[in-house]
Amino acid sequence: MIKLYLTGLMSLTLMLSGCASLENDKRSRLDLIKTRDKLICGVSGKIPGFSFLKSDGSYQGIDIEICKALAAAFLGSPNKVQYRPLTAPERFTAIKTGEIDVLSRNTTFNLSRDSIGGNGLTFAPVVFYDGQGLMVKSNSKITRIEQLNDANICVGSGTTTEQNLNDAFEEKKINYKPIKYQDLNQVVAGYLQGRCKAMTSDRSQLAAARTGFKNPNRHIILNDVLSKEPLAPASIGGDQKLADAVRWVIYSLITAEELDINKANIDKKIKLATEDKSKTSLRRLLGIDPGLGQKIGLSDDFFVNIIKSTGNYGDIYNKHLGKDSNLPIPRGLNNLYSKDGLHIAPPMK
Amino acid sequence: MKKRNLYVLELIIGIIIISIAGILINNLIINLIRTNMGLSYSWLMQPAGFAISEYLIPFKPSDNYSFALIVGWINSLRVIVFGLILSTFLGLFAGISMTSKNLILSNIAKLYIGLIRQVPLLIQLMFWYFVVFLGLSEKPHDFLWSLGNISNKGFQLLGIKLSVEYCALLIGLSVYSGASIAEVIRGGIKSVSQGQWEAFRSLGLTETIGLRRVIIPQALPAIVPGITSQYLNLAKNSTLAIAIGYADIYAISDTTITQTGRAIEGFSILLISFLLLNLVISKAMERVNTAVNHYKK
Amino acid sequence: MKKLETISRYIKRNFASSKLDLTINTFLLFIIWSFLVKIIYWIRFNAEWDIVTKNFPLYLFGSYPKAELWRPTLWISVIITLIIVTLSCPRKNNYTKLLPIIWILIVPLGIFLLAGGIGITPVASTDWGGITLTLCLTLSSGLLSLPLGILLAIGRQSNLFAIRKFCKLYIEFMRAMPLIAVLFFGQLLIPIFLPMGLEINRVMRAVLAFSLFTASYIAEDIRGGLQAIPNTQNEAAAALGLDSIQTFQLIIMPQAIKISLPALTNQAIGLLQNTSLMSILGLVEIFGISRSLLANPNFIGKYLEGYVWLACIYWLICTLMALLSKNLESKLNTDNI
Repeated sequence: MIKLYLTGLMSLTLMLSGCASLENDKRSRLDLIKTRDKLICGVSGKIPGFSFLKSDGSYQGIDIEICKALAAAFLGSPNKVQYRPLTAPERFTAIKTGEIDVLSRNTTFNLSRDSIGGNGLTFAPVVFYDGQGLMVKSNSKITRIEQLNDANICVGSGTTTEQNLNDAFEEKKINYKPIKYQDLNQVVAGYLQGRCKAMTSDRSQLAAARTGFKNPNRHIILNDVLSKEPLAPASIGGDQKLADAVRWVIYSLITAEELDINKANIDKKIKLATEDKSKTSLRRLLGIDPGLGQKIGLSDDFFVNIIKSTGNYGDIYNKHLGKDSNLPIPRGLNNLYSKDGLHIAPPMK
Repeated sequence: MKKRNLYVLELIIGIIIISIAGILINNLIINLIRTNMGLSYSWLMQPAGFAISEYLIPFKPSDNYSFALIVGWINSLRVIVFGLILSTFLGLFAGISMTSKNLILSNIAKLYIGLIRQVPLLIQLMFWYFVVFLGLSEKPHDFLWSLGNISNKGFQLLGIKLSVEYCALLIGLSVYSGASIAEVIRGGIKSVSQGQWEAFRSLGLTETIGLRRVIIPQALPAIVPGITSQYLNLAKNSTLAIAIGYADIYAISDTTITQTGRAIEGFSILLISFLLLNLVISKAMERVNTAVNHYKK
Repeated sequence: MKKLETISRYIKRNFASSKLDLTINTFLLFIIWSFLVKIIYWIRFNAEWDIVTKNFPLYLFGSYPKAELWRPTLWISVIITLIIVTLSCPRKNNYTKLLPIIWILIVPLGIFLLAGGIGITPVASTDWGGITLTLCLTLSSGLLSLPLGILLAIGRQSNLFAIRKFCKLYIEFMRAMPLIAVLFFGQLLIPIFLPMGLEINRVMRAVLAFSLFTASYIAEDIRGGLQAIPNTQNEAAAALGLDSIQTFQLIIMPQAIKISLPALTNQAIGLLQNTSLMSILGLVEIFGISRSLLANPNFIGKYLEGYVWLACIYWLICTLMALLSKNLESKLNTDNI
């Protein structure tokens, strides 16, 4: 009897699985977003400056602004976003299973994640150039990474941070003991309470975390940079329509800063371009002359919508990470190429 | 119902179960093809590339994933085994205290159980780790005439070193399971008839000896099944280690899954290992149970 | 004078019946005293409760849209009213019979109020949070797992080979799994088993995982209840001319549930506590909220306050649940009217 059942079960299961047909859904995710009239954006929700929960229940940070810019471009309003807080381990599965449309969760852009044989994502342009660093207490007199031999180091698990730490220390033949936590606030707690001599994370996050300390000046971030961490939003691989749209929304933010268009002067610029027919490229960019938006599956006024809701890249940076924020991180690499930084947008033509 | 009808019904239900399983597997295969994943276990032999903070057998990041998982297993077992011992003692002590005539003692035991059982284990673990253990001073504090010392890095006694993560997990789990075990033990002791107490008292035995020689042996058959399920709970709850940074099997599986992207494969290994662990504990306790019941006769 | 003597005799009998007792008690009293002093000192001078006071709405509702806050508020007030009514309601009353039905209706009402839809603005489940989400998870998983557990318990005793084996396998498999692994499965792997395009939202996936897990425990509790019922009940029912289904439905099952009620209460309390695990997997129920808050620069380091506050909330809810079940037990108790 048991055997009969088992064989029956096996054969039927096999038969049914044999019917596994591959109906390739050719519809782009972008159309789905538009029909749904909501963009689902995966964020962290726990990283000051990038995305964190405020007391009034809303999220704030540069990652959030990217979501808003995308929603403004896709749907015409920055408020048509649903934020989905994700832990580091679940973020890629969430995008693969279609639970979120776009991942904007300070994720490092690298080969394995961007490739079809790896995590199968498609990355948008980098929104923040970061590098992994180490923070120590200033009274420990540590200034170089070599002085951390045999030290405990607090690190978040399941991230590239953990691998970079290992690569960097292995290369320099320094022994260390990783104390791994699930999220950054636990890493901070472990470090502050003296479990570890140093904590490691992206330098922006270290700076952000430090502003919350009681005595920020008692902690220093070492000059050694363990790795380069270009942080970028990502969408599912193999969906060019969505990937194009996301890519050019990010470039729009940078282009706006290059052209010095911001929230305050956009209306003036529109008026100027409407009156002056000779400003063809500006007219096209602002959607007065049609064409650009349609090519990436968006409305022609997408650029205007973005700038009106979030401002340009520089504005976003200053508000959340730069001089107007409570964790002023110098722009450095994150400045425009014309100001010795790395941000450059290809021509929007 | 006639026997033939029964067979028909059985066949129908069997087919329903099979088709549900089939649909699920069908979807799985479609999705695996769609995302270009397929099923593969070859990653088990690739180098892990992450370090583990504590291990009994030496582990380097260049060792492979399967070795990392084994290290995780050993770490889990280390917590589970000592957690079983510690929680049993704690439960025994609290359970007996509850039946004690000493009002202060019995009320403290009741307070302990009432408090511990009404607060989630996760919060308790976080409390033990972040507040109690990391709240210790950074300078090692000697005790027992310098035979051991304790700081917020770890605990050391006679050359045995334990990390604070391990200590917090062990204590948190034991205190939590101890409360449940105490309830089981109290129930067991209560199940022994009052006459037995009077009998040993009239024989002039002290309370301690009476408990140990007369009451507990008779309570054991009622206690063992309850304790078995608490032991199994403790083993399963040890996976909450991930919340306080202890490298147990679940935490290492989690890291492995993130790094390799092999969710189904990693998860299946985790499942099989837990089925095995469960089997080992229940078989061992079954033996204890037969021994206890044999003793009763 | 005589009163003093009785007091001293009472103390002597209960606290100092032997020298050993006396030493133990002095020691214990000393420990209790020093703990109390420390706790009171901490509460009075060191504790800073701004992590609680400034974020009260967050703890209650998470990031639920401001304009729609009346919905979770209404739901929670209905639950509180119901608790009061249940606790104060007399035992023999026509309305008492309605209570279980109202308790069951609370769940769809809550989901309707939270999710919106017909007539009210829809709110995505990602915006649910705080105690509201904790309660929603607990109540809906509880409601779903109870019938599932009963079915499994019946199935495990079935005469049909396939059903019996399947139920046994399922129950034993689930009981061997750590909950966190089941929840992990629910959050990350369920989507892989679903056809493309079909999407169950995260809260529902969590509810599903919790129900599948809890059902296996409930099944074992109910089975314990079923086994406790003597066979004479079966015979008596047969003598009354009831068929086997009627017997089961009218005679056996009600008694079995009544017997396993204390165990079921423990499962319910366990379920509530276990919802805190969802914070590891990224849902912002009440524990998730406080973990997020602890990352906020304004509240970094307020661990003790945060955890004590949470422990109090959980303790309160669990105690209420235990009270409710005791109350229910006494209402169902027909042995001595």
